[in-house]
Amino acid sequence: MAHAWQGKLEKLDNFRWKIPQTYKSGMNVPGLIYANESLLSGILNDKAPEQVANVAFLPGIVKYSLAMPDIHWGYGFSIGGVAATDPENQGVVSPGGVGYDINCGVRLVRSDLTLKELGSKLETLVNLLFNNIPSGVGSSGNIRASVKDEEEIFVKGAEWAVKKGCGVKEDLEFIEDKGSMEGADPSKVSKRAYERGRDQSGTLGSGNHFLEIQVIDEIYDEKKANAFNLFKGQITMMIHSGSRGLGYQICDDYVKSMISCLSKYNINVPDRQLACAPINSPEGKAYLASMKCAANYAWTNRQCLMYLARDVFEKVFNKSWSSLGLRLVYDVAHNIAKMEKHKVGDKEKFLCVHRKGATRAFPPGHPDLPDSYKDTGQPVIIPGDMGTFSYILAGAAGSMEETFGSTCHGAGRCLSRSNAIKACHGRQIDKELFNKSGIIVRAKTRGTLAEEAPEAYKNVSEIVNVVHGAGLSIKVARMRPLGVIKG
Amino acid sequence: MKPFELIDHTADVGIKVWGNTLTELFENAARGMFAVIAREAYKPQGSKIEKNIEIYKNTDSFEEILVNWLSELLYVFNREKIYFSDFKILSLNNNGIEAQANGVNLDLYQSNLYTEIKAVTFHNLKIEEDVNGFNCTIIFDV
Repeated sequence: MAHAWQGKLEKLDNFRWKIPQTYKSGMNVPGLIYANESLLSGILNDKAPEQVANVAFLPGIVKYSLAMPDIHWGYGFSIGGVAATDPENQGVVSPGGVGYDINCGVRLVRSDLTLKELGSKLETLVNLLFNNIPSGVGSSGNIRASVKDEEEIFVKGAEWAVKKGCGVKEDLEFIEDKGSMEGADPSKVSKRAYERGRDQSGTLGSGNHFLEIQVIDEIYDEKKANAFNLFKGQITMMIHSGSRGLGYQICDDYVKSMISCLSKYNINVPDRQLACAPINSPEGKAYLASMKCAANYAWTNRQCLMYLARDVFEKVFNKSWSSLGLRLVYDVAHNIAKMEKHKVGDKEKFLCVHRKGATRAFPPGHPDLPDSYKDTGQPVIIPGDMGTFSYILAGAAGSMEETFGSTCHGAGRCLSRSNAIKACHGRQIDKELFNKSGIIVRAKTRGTLAEEAPEAYKNVSEIVNVVHGAGLSIKVARMRPLGVIKG
Repeated sequence: MKPFELIDHTADVGIKVWGNTLTELFENAARGMFAVIAREAYKPQGSKIEKNIEIYKNTDSFEEILVNWLSELLYVFNREKIYFSDFKILSLNNNGIEAQANGVNLDLYQSNLYTEIKAVTFHNLKIEEDVNGFNCTIIFDV
């Protein structure tokens, strides 16, 4: 079969495919795609490999332009891309390498409930969650923040929410960076971005964002599952959301302003959407300080969403959330840039790791992990589509050796939104899901349901098997959806 | 000549836009963007609101002005909840753009709106000129 990608690709082993640096003049490093044969066939029909090659143009990029198995065509960077840049070698930071939805991410909440105990309450629970959690395009929330509050959210992140009573201190332990990146500077955030962020705290948003009630139906690693407090038959809740309008505006502001940096710093990239600036330049520093505000806002947002959801559980089960065991397992960011220590050759260096549609996956023993996960590795949360499965993995040593502590982030789309809508024409996806699998779906619009239909996504199990097989992260448990609320 | 058509993009949404003149291209791009937001057949109801849009940007790149123009409309749409359907460009040159946009007030949260556009991207954006006029492809992050 003829593929859209006509360039050279070297098979390194069953999980690794290399785009040689010679593919395009201007690439500073080769590209490396993690995939198996069947995923690769889909990947090569997309424009994503070209984007992997384009990212290799970034000044100061280290080792490889990396692509996870859920890679698909994005804008500038592909989605599922990882790139680390070295500030000591003219390394740049690119807002497009983070994306518009800064700190889009997922959190997993466990419970003591079993499927049997949930029983007939599922429908009431899903309906009440749908009514109580603001979702949909441009939705506004009930958790209101003043201008002063907003500034505090930017600097302190999820801690702000806990201070306001939305959760407990213990929650913060189980959020990447404890829900707050240091060095956020609200003065670098435009007035427009402030405005767009103000009334959207505690809102889910639209598109692929969701809140899902799930049951664990398979355990792969008993020991790690125990450490994560997970067991077969257990009810869990997954929340997928980001920084909403605030993040979009910050990215938009800085992509626009960094286009002029390309000539100022004499940077050659093949796509303007890869606009970037040296990490230590005034523009690069300003972007990072501003991006951190949005990252902190997103963690606050997911904290508020969890608070709203815990409240709903309390009403439905007439018990406190703590006696229901509704504890946070972990919260990960999958659109972010971070300064992290990594080994390059035999030296340790601080690199700027861009993860666009990729998840941090620190292995056992990493100093940034909470004590209770020191022996297991970081929980990695991989949402699938609403009809099949989601996974929880644990970071493994391979990620530090190969992918700057990163792994995949989800199923990854295989159908465009319009093709998904065409494929679902005349069908009622929510009814299909209910009749086939008993999954209760509530969504603001029918369009969202068709766009997000299970067949629009790649097979998440295959994606997870690749990162497991490549040693980037280890499978711990699988969750099956029971109820989904969508924007 | 078609004003615009929606194109396929795996994760996001794009439009291909045509115009006999650069001005028409910019007007059609705005129409195309709002068609992405709420489907082409969508007929907004309500009392008309007129907005003046002025962007001053000294640049050789009309692509940059185009992204700025669409981003500005998107910003007003998000902030003031005005769904624009009619555009008249008064001036367009290397110093920026002046235009009038007409639309109706729409409560996003209450309406059955279709797609949230996060941003207008620069991804592979190039305004091309041929014997028929101008064309370009714009990718939105949705």
